[in-house]
Order: sequence, then structure tokens, then C-alpha cells
Amino acid sequence: MAWEGKGKTAVVGLGMSKLTRRADKPLGALALDACYAAIADAGLKPSDIDGLATYPDQPFRGAGNRDGEDLVNALFLMTHGEFAPDIKWYAQISTGMIASAPIEGVNALMSGACNYVLFWRAMHIPKGTYNSFRGYQAGGDGQFGAPYGHVHGYQTHAMAYRHYLNKYNHNREKMAALVTNSRKNANLNPNAFFHEQPMSVEDYLNARMIADPLALFDCDVPVEGCTALVMTTADRAKDLKNKPAYIAGYGQNTAHRPEYMTYMIDDYLAAGRPHAGKIYERAGMGPKDIDVAELYDGFSPSTLYWLEAAGFCGEGEALDFVQNGNVSLTGSLPLNTFGGSLSEGRLHGMGHLAEAVRQVTDRAEGRQIKGANTSIAIDGSPLLRGSGMIFTREP
Amino acid sequence: MTSNTPRRVVPQPDELTQPFWDAAAENKLVVQRCQDCQFWSHPPRIMCNKCHSLNQKYEQVSGKGRLYSWAVMHMQSITGFEDRVPYTTLLVELEEQPKLLLLSYMDGSDEGLKVGQPCEVYFEKVEDFTLPQFRVLK
Ligand SMILES: [Zn+2]
Repeated sequence: MAWEGKGKTAVVGLGMSKLTRRADKPLGALALDACYAAIADAGLKPSDIDGLATYPDQPFRGAGNRDGEDLVNALFLMTHGEFAPDIKWYAQISTGMIASAPIEGVNALMSGACNYVLFWRAMHIPKGTYNSFRGYQAGGDGQFGAPYGHVHGYQTHAMAYRHYLNKYNHNREKMAALVTNSRKNANLNPNAFFHEQPMSVEDYLNARMIADPLALFDCDVPVEGCTALVMTTADRAKDLKNKPAYIAGYGQNTAHRPEYMTYMIDDYLAAGRPHAGKIYERAGMGPKDIDVAELYDGFSPSTLYWLEAAGFCGEGEALDFVQNGNVSLTGSLPLNTFGGSLSEGRLHGMGHLAEAVRQVTDRAEGRQIKGANTSIAIDGSPLLRGSGMIFTREP
Repeated sequence: MTSNTPRRVVPQPDELTQPFWDAAAENKLVVQRCQDCQFWSHPPRIMCNKCHSLNQKYEQVSGKGRLYSWAVMHMQSITGFEDRVPYTTLLVELEEQPKLLLLSYMDGSDEGLKVGQPCEVYFEKVEDFTLPQFRVLK
């Protein structure tokens, strides 16, 4: 039996700022623009919003954390947003990454804590060198990495990816199929950072290395910008102007393991299968019921791990699964139809959620999968943490 | 070291990690081990990763292991390693326990490396610290 919350809540509004390298206004102002756009898109007034939810984590250690400048927290929007004078509920959740915030939004709406939840994610690129470790001392777990020249998430992802390639006897050339497919989709997405730039297999293969086997286009593109969604109950959604994207089920990573990078390399299936399983179980569905998949690609191998953990193909088979147009807009499983974080821009999974909403409400323009009834969005990496949701056209 | 060579990053020991660095200074590799269930944990934790006991002590290990994975770093984005790219960071699985993994540094790229190659510990002085490092045995 499916979960009693299935189809009881929905996303009813979408708003996006432009995604650029350097925005012409501070992040807090950009976020407010996207939030007001999402509210207007839903046919609501800002004063209707009485619930707020966001994911607050920065992409790497040492990033700034001034509210409204480096990131946009609930406190900033409560202070500067012209929402309901009495915000009834808010959540700011880092565990489980971005979908944890709308998951809590679902719970708040179902409990009656509030009526309309605004959920946003805003990302900033500081001036100067991005993502560098400039300390002379490393504390915590980092003292066993930094003195050896190993600091960054991408270095650990590279090690995990090499382990995967070796274990299943693949080569990184096969990844070109997935990355160029995402770029083709981004070329159909006017808001994508790489909208105007096509990518050939040669472009992918010739790009410079970051941490071998990860090269430049295996890493998502950092952007400044914000995307916002408005959620409400299915009952209230009926009276609003957009087709609702009903939330059928959700799930989070609940693997029992210490959070340390080198423990995560070989357990993406042990961790990812129960995570995807919870989403399916609540929705009363399985992988065969999914029409469109938006699977996180902060680094390209993460999408491979999700394809396998969510049951779209078998263990070690994802690099073969993505060949021959199988994940294109006309393939058996349209994947990252908006371009993913690799080609739309790094919004930490917000782009995946927004596109999953568009696909079941016929709002995906030139990349719309005709008649898509179900979509899944999963963020994070099963090597680390994550959360996800299934959206449906009908409740 | 010339004045324009950036200093290497050094560890900042704390109560939990000090014994690891003290042992390294005597050219010994120690790893935290649960005194109740004998499970090894690295990096050290206040509670056993397997049985949740608080009864943890450091014990010396053989310093032998196998190459589990590696990454070749091309970005000049870590203090003191800017002039070393490309270099390789190794992940070594100690023989004491599956997935007991330690990081290590290796000059240059990864030509000839293979998963599973035997590795052994050596000790490198960096400023006031001694770092346990691993060399891959060809
Ligand atoms: Zn124990």
C-alpha cells in the first residue's frame, strides 16, 4: 500500500533568476526576485506565503557564509521578504541535501502547520580564486588529507570513480555519451548556462583534467543564481492557475555509516538502494513506472551511481545504459532533460527538482517529454548523502 | 626551502589525534582500535564505528597494505602543493582490515599504477611533523 501522503501536496509555482558567472546584483536581491517570480507564477500574492524552506550548505569548506551575500537563509527572507506578516513555519535543513527542505515542506503542509511553502536555493560565486585551500594547518578529519595534498570533494569523487571504472572494467571515454546528452538538453533550455554552447564528444574528451579521471566537463559549472518553488496542499492547488505537480513520495539516505570521505567509495548500492526504495515505496511505484529521471550530477559519475541504485539498470551497467541515445529525449529513459548541473549550472539539485516538476506539467518547452506522467528527482550522491522525490501528473 | 616556496600544510592535532602524530614522530604507524570488538577506525572517532564502545586506543599496525584507488591532481589549489601538479594522492587499504583506508602523497602522475599493488609505509619530515606516507611496491 502506498503512503497516505501520496498526492496530498503539490508544487504550484516556479521562479528562476538568470544563471550567470557574475550577477549584476547581490545574491539576496536575486533570490527575492526568483521567489516573487515563483509566487506570481502560482497566481498567489507574497502575503500568502506563510512557510519557508531552504538548504543552507555551501559547496565547499571555507566558502563565505554572510546571509544575503554568500548564501540566502530563512532569516534573510523573513527579514527582507514581503511575505505573510506572521510566518507560521520554516525549515533550514542540511542533512540529506536539497530535497530534504521540500520534504519537510510536505510534512508541514500535511500537518496544517502552514498553507503555502516557499522553497528556494541561491548560489554565489565569490570574487577571486574559487574553491582553494589556503590554510597552513588542517584540523579535524582534514589533518589526514590536506598534508598529503588531498582536500577537495572532487579529489575524493575522482578516487571513487577510478575504483568504479576499475571494478566494472569501464573507461572514462564512455562517459562522453552522458555528458554530451546533457549538453544537448541544455541547448534546448533557455535558462541553462551553456544554452548557446554545443559540446562534441571530442570537446568532452579533450578538456583539461581536474583530478584524473575527472576532467573539466565531469564537474558541474558554478553559477550565481536562484531557483524557487511554491508548494501547497492538493486541495488548495486545485484552485490555482498552474497544473499542479503532485508529490507522490519522498526518501532520504539513511545509510548507517560514519561521514568520512574514504568510507563511501564502495557502498553506493548499499546506501543508494534503500534510499531510492523509500521513494518508490511511498509512491507505490518502481523504476519501470518512471517516465523521466533527473539524477544529480554535481560530478558526472554520481548520475551513474543513481541510475544503478534507483534500479534503472544493473550493478556496474550504467555506462553501457547511457549509450546509443538510450537516455536522450526520445530514449527509453530521458535523463537530466534540462542539462543537469553539468550544463544548466550548479544549484545543488534545485534544477533537477524544478525540471521534474516541469515535465509532469507540460512546462518543459522544447525538451518536453510528451505525456510524461511521472518524474523522479534525486539529489546528492549515494557515496555521501541525498534525498529525492517522485512527481506525478495526477494525484 | 626558499622564501618563495609556499609552506606545506601541516596537521593541527587535537586530543583525539595527538597520539597518531606522536607515534609518527617516532616512525611508528598507529591506528585507533576498539578495545571491545577489535575494529579499527581511521580517522579516529570517539565511538567505535562498529559496536559503539567508547573504549578506544591506538595500536601499532604493520604498515603494509594494498593500493585501493588514487586520483591525479591537476589543480593548483592547495597550499604548498601548487608547484607539484600533476601529483597523485593514493588511497591505501591496510592489511589489518578491509576498507581501513589511509591517504598518501606520491610525486608525479600515475603511470604503471594498478589497483591492488602492495604498498608499505615510510615516514616523511614536514616542518615539525612526521607524516606516515606509503610507497607503492612495483
Ligand atoms: Zn567496537
